Amino acid sequence: MNSILRTEDLRVEYRSRELKQTVKVALKGLNLNVSAGEVFGFLGPNGAGKTTTMNVLLGYVKPTEGTAHLFDVDVREPIARQRIGYLPELTYYYKFLTVEELLRFYAGLFEIPKLEAESRIDRLLKLVELEHARRQPIRTYSKGMQQRAGLAQALINNPDLLLLDEPTSGLDPLGRMKVREIIRRLKEEGKTVFFSSHELGEVETICDRVAILHQGELRVEGRVDDLMARYQCNLEQVFLKVVDYQPQP
Amino acid sequence: MKASRAILILLLLLAVAFSLGTVLQLHAPRWTHRSPSESVLALAFGESRQLFANHFFVKADISFHSGYYPSIFDEARQAEENDNDVSHPDEKEEPKSEGGFLGPPTDWIDRFGRHFRPTLHTHLQGGNIREILPWLRISAELDPHRVEAYTVASYWMRKHLGEVDEAEQFLREGLRANPDSYELLFELGSLYYDNRHDAGRARNVWLAALRLWQKQESGKGMPDNLSLDQITVHLAHLEEQEGNLDRAVEYFEMAKKVSPTPSQLQKQIDEIKQRLPRAGTLSPH
Amino acid sequence: MNKVFAISGVVIKELYRRKDFYVLFVLTALITLLLGSVNFFHDDRIARYLKEICLLLIWISALVIAITTTARQIPAERENRTIFPLLAKPVTRAQVITGKFLGCWLAVAVALAVFYLFFGVISGSREHAWPVLKYFQALWLQWTMLAVVIALVLFGSVIFTSPAENVTICFFAVLGILLLGGHLNTVALGLKEPARTMLYTLYFLIPHLEWFDVRDIIIYDWPRIPWLDCLLATLYAAVYVALFLFAAWLVFRRKVLTT
Repeated sequence: MNSILRTEDLRVEYRSRELKQTVKVALKGLNLNVSAGEVFGFLGPNGAGKTTTMNVLLGYVKPTEGTAHLFDVDVREPIARQRIGYLPELTYYYKFLTVEELLRFYAGLFEIPKLEAESRIDRLLKLVELEHARRQPIRTYSKGMQQRAGLAQALINNPDLLLLDEPTSGLDPLGRMKVREIIRRLKEEGKTVFFSSHELGEVETICDRVAILHQGELRVEGRVDDLMARYQCNLEQVFLKVVDYQPQP
Repeated sequence: MKASRAILILLLLLAVAFSLGTVLQLHAPRWTHRSPSESVLALAFGESRQLFANHFFVKADISFHSGYYPSIFDEARQAEENDNDVSHPDEKEEPKSEGGFLGPPTDWIDRFGRHFRPTLHTHLQGGNIREILPWLRISAELDPHRVEAYTVASYWMRKHLGEVDEAEQFLREGLRANPDSYELLFELGSLYYDNRHDAGRARNVWLAALRLWQKQESGKGMPDNLSLDQITVHLAHLEEQEGNLDRAVEYFEMAKKVSPTPSQLQKQIDEIKQRLPRAGTLSPH
Repeated sequence: MNKVFAISGVVIKELYRRKDFYVLFVLTALITLLLGSVNFFHDDRIARYLKEICLLLIWISALVIAITTTARQIPAERENRTIFPLLAKPVTRAQVITGKFLGCWLAVAVALAVFYLFFGVISGSREHAWPVLKYFQALWLQWTMLAVVIALVLFGSVIFTSPAENVTICFFAVLGILLLGGHLNTVALGLKEPARTMLYTLYFLIPHLEWFDVRDIIIYDWPRIPWLDCLLATLYAAVYVALFLFAAWLVFRRKVLTT
């Protein structure tokens, strides 16, 4: 299958600003491969390196060693981001803009023609149920509304790859269900979804494949069913075993 | 709380504040050293107003020269050049080099920069002289004891703008703040003589100015001889016009003692003496 | 270029939705109208003091708008985390810098146009004359100068950690250049070596923003500046703008951004 997202021996080190110049290794030779059309769950405890991986894929951070490619284009090239959509964990957008203006702005960054952009904005606002608030400034939105606005901006360019960082974080059950529905629909349309999450129940339900990261290293990767069969337990148990969790006596 | 009640309370508080203000205003001057008639500018600038008064006086001069004015750096450079200059003092009258006080451009930046600023020495002419008046007004407002602001404004108003009444009013304002100023009295006398053609009032005011000068300056090590020269020469000319030649001679003699051009005054004295009646036939007062 | 214009559009929207510009304009208008209502010796033909004060207020307001608007662009994007969804789009960091510069510069142009229109009304009401070309020259040169200031502040915003720091330093730098920049050569000539060479070098290196302050030409009714000189000054400013923006990009592209 086509490799949409690929990392090879990806290593990221952060140097401390203190005099002793200590080095923190966030990723140790990560090799990932995500194929077209699959929903890929990226799991790991806090500090495992998930966010660092996202940052490298989005070009925010330069890897110390190794490479990362999106659609066979080096992630450091801006064109690599032409076909992706990104929903950050913490959704902050220009508070003085309305969601309509925000989507129009991002459509401009993708150089989507005006007529096409307006049509997409209407469709997306309907999808994320923000039509009624399209002309209100984003600063007046609730957290759930802001998250939905974030999802809309991630989809404005009709991306082939969606990068979601904790997409259901802070949402109520209804909101979470909405997000799951959208992810399913995207998969049906042949899109690829790469998302990190702590909601293992959700991951088990919607993901085709998962990777579990711990202390910067890829501990396990594979189809959800295969992993559950291998470890003879549910995904949460697999997670706990892989990260060497020891229960308190 | 209902909106109407909140508005009523606000209005009541405003009324109380206003009433208190009017009552306290009468008593407030006793709590401070400020005069109740102090202007907004005086209150805003405080004791630094003298500094600002000087600044605005200079602004009037800048305005008179349409923006062509040396900065403190230009003045410092000129002073240095004058110290190093061994040429005859008379040759220093006109700026020797290109660009006036600016001097010749020292580099391409200086040369190019002169395209964006005034570089010609000009003076305001005709009605445009009125443009210096606001700065002089503000200067006087900030420092009522700065007599030059009154005398300069009055001079230009009465001599070049034909605003004699305004000039007199301004001078009198200056005299209220500076009752012992011989400069202001001299200027007032000049207004009466030149513009009102009232020799009698002019004489009285100039004599008052002379008396004040003698009271304030005569004991000093470095008295203001320029003012004495001006007052006595003007009195001399007035008396000459009125036919009181002996008095004219008297005043010219006084002026000669302090004048930078005593020989010129001596010529005038000699000329008047020739017209005087012979000794023993002095005209009565 | 569309992406650059899209980014600049957001900057302009931000300016007219914040209160800064309106407050400064109202203050300028109020002070000018108040001073215009003062009667100096019953002569209502006096105009230059009003022009001088109005232009001074315009200069101060425009500088405040330019510096404060620009200083918060990049830091606010980072603080509010809006930089992440922005850079997740196919946008280079150079385009972000250029877009921010253009947005601030165009926003300032709008502000200047409104200010100068007001100035034209006030001065015209006194002098009954509208030297439109001269006013245009003054506006153009001030706008060009502000381009240099904006580029400088943008560079500062990727160097200094806080906007307040950047605003303070840039204000002092700009005011210093405006007031003293043209006199550094005079001061340098009065010094001994090596101070003379150092100061003269600084004199040649700094952008001479004081060239663009042609208020005296307007206030005192001097003839218009030759158009060729305006063009050369504009090119001079363009070089410094390019320099500061390039420097800003060099620093910004190496900045690590972590979510």
